Amino acid sequence: MNERPVIQCRGVTVAYGRDVVLNRIDLTVPRGALLPFVGPNGAGKTTLLKACLGLIPHQGGEIICDFGGRPPAYVPQQKQLDPIYPVSVRDLVCMGLYPENGCWRRLDRGQHERVEGVIARFGLEPHQHKHFGELSGGLRQKTLLARAVVTQAGVLVLDEPTAGLDAASEADMLLLIRDLHEAGGKTVLWVHHRMDQCAALARQVCRVDKRGVRLADVSEVAE
Amino acid sequence: MSLLQDAVSFTGLFPEAVLCGTVMAAVCSAFGVFVVLKRIVFISIALSEAATCGLALALVFHFSALAGSALVTAAVVFLLTLPDKRQRMPKDVVLGTVFLLASSASVLLVAQSGFGLEEIKAMLYGDLIVSSPHDRWVLLLTGLPSLALLLLFLRPLLYTFLDREASFVMGLRCWLWEGLFFFLLGLVVSGASKSGGALLVFCLLVVVPATALLLARRLWAVIGLSVALGVLTTWAGLLAAYRADLPANPTIIGMACLLLMGVALLRARHDRARHER
Repeated sequence: MNERPVIQCRGVTVAYGRDVVLNRIDLTVPRGALLPFVGPNGAGKTTLLKACLGLIPHQGGEIICDFGGRPPAYVPQQKQLDPIYPVSVRDLVCMGLYPENGCWRRLDRGQHERVEGVIARFGLEPHQHKHFGELSGGLRQKTLLARAVVTQAGVLVLDEPTAGLDAASEADMLLLIRDLHEAGGKTVLWVHHRMDQCAALARQVCRVDKRGVRLADVSEVAE
Repeated sequence: MSLLQDAVSFTGLFPEAVLCGTVMAAVCSAFGVFVVLKRIVFISIALSEAATCGLALALVFHFSALAGSALVTAAVVFLLTLPDKRQRMPKDVVLGTVFLLASSASVLLVAQSGFGLEEIKAMLYGDLIVSSPHDRWVLLLTGLPSLALLLLFLRPLLYTFLDREASFVMGLRCWLWEGLFFFLLGLVVSGASKSGGALLVFCLLVVVPATALLLARRLWAVIGLSVALGVLTTWAGLLAAYRADLPANPTIIGMACLLLMGVALLRARHDRARHER
C-alpha cells in the first residue's frame, strides 16, 4: 500500500504581488489524514491548499503531491458557482465523471449506478432534477461534495464547506466529512474556523498563522 | 396580400437576406448562451464594436472586410485572454476603453475617408437586406464551423465556465477552453458584423439567449430554444420590415427586445403565483 505523504511542502513561498502570504513553509500531510486547516482570517489556509492543487502558483520552494494516480477532488465554496447556469443537481454530480469520460463519452451502466448511489447517500434523491440555483446553501454544498465523491478520488480538498450554512446543515456536512474519512478511507483536507468542531472530528489540525504552518494535536491548539 | 404571400415574395426578392439572417441568428444565439451565462455581455459589445472598427479600416484602406474585422477582433480577443495580473487594470475598464476607442475610431475613419453618413449608419446598424452572396459565404465559413466546435466541446466549455477551479483540478486545461471560446466568438462576431452591424450582433448574442434562459431549464434546451427564437425573430423582423417598409435590422432588434420584456413579465408573474401557492 502506498504510504507516501499526500503533500510535501518544502520551503514554499506564496505571494500575491508583493504581499507574501506564506513564507518558506514546510508541511507534510500523511496519507489517510482527516485534517482541518485552521487559523485566523487571511493567514493563508485556502491559499496553501490552492497552491498544493496548482490553482495558485508558488514563488519558491517545492510542492510534491502524490494523489495516488487519480486527480484529487476539490470542493469550492458553494457561493463560487453562479446559480444562473441551467444545470441540475444530477448534472453537477455527473460533472465529477469528466476525468473518466472526457469530452464525449456517455455514462455507462456502472457510472449511472455510481451516480445514483452517491445521490442517495447524500439524501439528494428528491432534489436531483432541481436546478442548482434553486437549492438552499446546505443542499448546494452537499451537491458539490457528492460531485467530489463520485470521482472516487482518494484525496478530497474542501474550501470552507460549512461557510454560510445554518447550524443543522453545518453539523450534517461535518458528519458527512467524517463518514467519508472513516468509511471511505479518504484523505480529507478542509479549511475550517471552529476549533470546537475540529476537536470533535479530528485528532490533528494544520495550524496556519503568522508563525508559519505546523501540524498540531487538537487539544494543544484548543488550549 | 396575405402574410404567406408576402413571405414568399420577400424570400424571392431577397434570398441572401433570409439566408444570411438565418445563419447569423442561429450561430450568434447559440454562442450568446455562454455570453450571458459567463456574464460577459460587455465583452460581446466590445467585440462587436471592434469588428465594426475593422470594417471601417477595410473600407478606408480597400482590403477584405472579413480580414479587417477579424484582425481587430483578434487583437481584442488577445487582450482579453491575457491573465488579469498582466493587465494591471480591472477588465471592465479595459473593455470600456476598447468599446469607446473602437466606436469613435470607426466613425472617425469613415468620416475622414470622404464617405458619407450613410456608410457610417450602414456599418453601425448593418442592413441584412443588402447582404450579398459573398456575405453569405463569409457567414457560412466562419459561423457553421464555429458552431460545430462549440457543440462538439460543449461539455468541457460548460465545466470550465461553471466551476473553473474544480475543472482545473479534474485535469481540464481551462485556459485552452476559454481561449478556444473567445477565438470562436471573435470569429463569429467578425463574420456577422458586416451584414448584421454591431447592434444586431449584440442583440443576438445577448437578448435572444437571455429570453431562452428564462424559458428553458436544461443547457441543451436553452441552446436549442435560443437558436429557434433567434431564427424566428429574424424571419419575423425581416417580414415586418418588408410589409411596413422599415429598416430590417432595427425591426429585428425591436422585436427581440419586446419578446424578452414580454417573457420576463410572464416569468415574473408565474414565479410570484408559484411563490404564493
